[in-house]
Amino acid sequence: MYIEIEEPNQRISSDAVKVWRISHSLTFLVELLVIAILFFCTNIFGWYNWIETILSILFGLAFLSAIYNITIQPVFLQRTWRYQVDEQFVQLKHGKWTEEHTLIPMEKVEYVKTEQGPVMRRYGLYTIEVGTTTSSHKIPAIPEDIAKQLKSQIATYAKIQDTITEEGEKGA
Amino acid sequence: MTQSGTRFHPAFIAVELFSLLKGVGGFYVILFILKASSTATWVMIGRYLIVAITIIGIISTILKWFFHRYELRYNTIVIRNGIFVKNQHTVAIDKIHNHLSNSTFIHKWFGLTSLTLETAATGDLAPFQFPVITEREKARILAHIEPKHSEEIEETTVPLSLNKTVHFRSTKKDMLKASFTSLSFLAIFPLLSALYSNLANFFELEETAESALDYLLIHWWMLIVLFTIALGLSVVIGYIKTSIKYGNYMISDDNVRIYIEKGIGHYTSFSIQKHRVQAVIVEQSFLKRLLGLAAVKLVCVGDGSEPGQETSSLYPFMPKHEAYQLLQTILPGYHIEEYMKRFPVKVLWLKLLQPYYVTILAVIGLLLFKREWLWAAAVIFALSIANRILDYWFTSYIHHGRTVQIRKGGFTNETYVTHRERIQQITVSHSWLQRKFGVATISFANKANPLHISQLQGVSKEEAGTFFTWYHKKALN
Repeated sequence: MYIEIEEPNQRISSDAVKVWRISHSLTFLVELLVIAILFFCTNIFGWYNWIETILSILFGLAFLSAIYNITIQPVFLQRTWRYQVDEQFVQLKHGKWTEEHTLIPMEKVEYVKTEQGPVMRRYGLYTIEVGTTTSSHKIPAIPEDIAKQLKSQIATYAKIQDTITEEGEKGA
Repeated sequence: MTQSGTRFHPAFIAVELFSLLKGVGGFYVILFILKASSTATWVMIGRYLIVAITIIGIISTILKWFFHRYELRYNTIVIRNGIFVKNQHTVAIDKIHNHLSNSTFIHKWFGLTSLTLETAATGDLAPFQFPVITEREKARILAHIEPKHSEEIEETTVPLSLNKTVHFRSTKKDMLKASFTSLSFLAIFPLLSALYSNLANFFELEETAESALDYLLIHWWMLIVLFTIALGLSVVIGYIKTSIKYGNYMISDDNVRIYIEKGIGHYTSFSIQKHRVQAVIVEQSFLKRLLGLAAVKLVCVGDGSEPGQETSSLYPFMPKHEAYQLLQTILPGYHIEEYMKRFPVKVLWLKLLQPYYVTILAVIGLLLFKREWLWAAAVIFALSIANRILDYWFTSYIHHGRTVQIRKGGFTNETYVTHRERIQQITVSHSWLQRKFGVATISFANKANPLHISQLQGVSKEEAGTFFTWYHKKALN
């Protein structure tokens, strides 16, 4: 542990790796399609040469990042993702090269919602989104039963805290 | 549907028409006076267009006035407007954070003013505006709003005394200092040159001016006299300009609210509840630092309605220690620690080691398009290094009790103070490179319009840990 803090301990589903691999592959295919169309247009309509150069660079970048995003990155992300929800805080941690710890007090939580895309539905996973007045945070790849439980838990905690907040605001 | 509620004062039409006139006046001058003899197609079309725009503007202003009504209810304010599409907009009074009042010259002629009520909501409807109302009506609305807040506070704080205490009143000397720091006297030069080139176009001034310049060069003392007169004139103009904006500056407060009033010709008053202040910023530009002045700003929700107006700022040209004292009396919770320790030197090396994206982009761009300009990349590189060194020099961080204070910036530096309860969320992160140097990045968000995120790189890992644990304390108090 690099920084001496209480780290969260809940992990996300190990299926997250598969989900991310599939969705990143799909993204890469779309990128390829767009670049291919642009290449085609460049040749047909005789656009400037430098456009072709830039397209080649873009293709190279997309290819390299796709390799990273499909092979290594999902594993790292799944292994490093941790979250914890208690009466006072939502705590999140993720990232291998750059590690990020986020702390959101329950009293600032405004809404919580679950989300599911087509790929995630195949694996029965949900994304939980926790929103404050100023920002929103996503916890990816939570199995269905845990997701539902977590959602109602956060909603309850956030509501309980509401009355305490007002007193805190006045006293401040 | 029965229409209830009050319309704005009829002078609303006059004020709106005046601003319409300001918008289209220039086109009239060009199309009907300067190009009076022209029969070019664009001039002809332009004339019809501008007349049509004016007529539509006048009609819609009158309709807007006719259909716009507002109503004060027990604990809400309702506004109805819309000519074809009817809107009804309701706001709860206890959601109003602060209010702002503005009187331009035209308002003054009619003995009127304007009022804006700010809420935490964002979007078009967020500020509630009463563009033209009488002073008495304003007092009525404010009376309707304010007792509610006072009651709410009364329960927890000392008994309410509505006696305002005046803490600061600007003097003539302050105005002089302010007009010097804002450098507004320099505005005369671009103004003169713009005027000259415009006139030169119309009257073919060049030739006459050339001979006049010759004359002046021979009689050089005349040049000096003229220059002195111009400079004196610009100082006077700068002084007047500053006075209009910052003259009669007055800061006062009572138990609950802070009141800021300013302006001679263009009167503005602003009021905010003390417990709605989210953070305090002390800002010093390079020039202000030389003169020992500082600007104190209050960060609050809904001060973004008029960017550049600096309404939420306490007097921006106050001597630093005086500003601190004032802050102490008005907001005793915000104590500014003057002495702050710089980060260890290794942080500077880390900052210098980070990739130079702008430089890299510049090199690539220049290589592709303008090889002979490649030296410009070196200039950019030098500037980014200078920027990083300055950034290191002025960046620091302390936290004590429930207060966090950070300072950063190069030529203009900024000290930011906020409290634990005011922080919406925090993030501590560290990259691979930062781990090699034993440091981390901390960032925290405050409610404001838009969200204010303070990010600080190069905090030592121990301190970042303490910061995280400090915010993570279980107890709320």
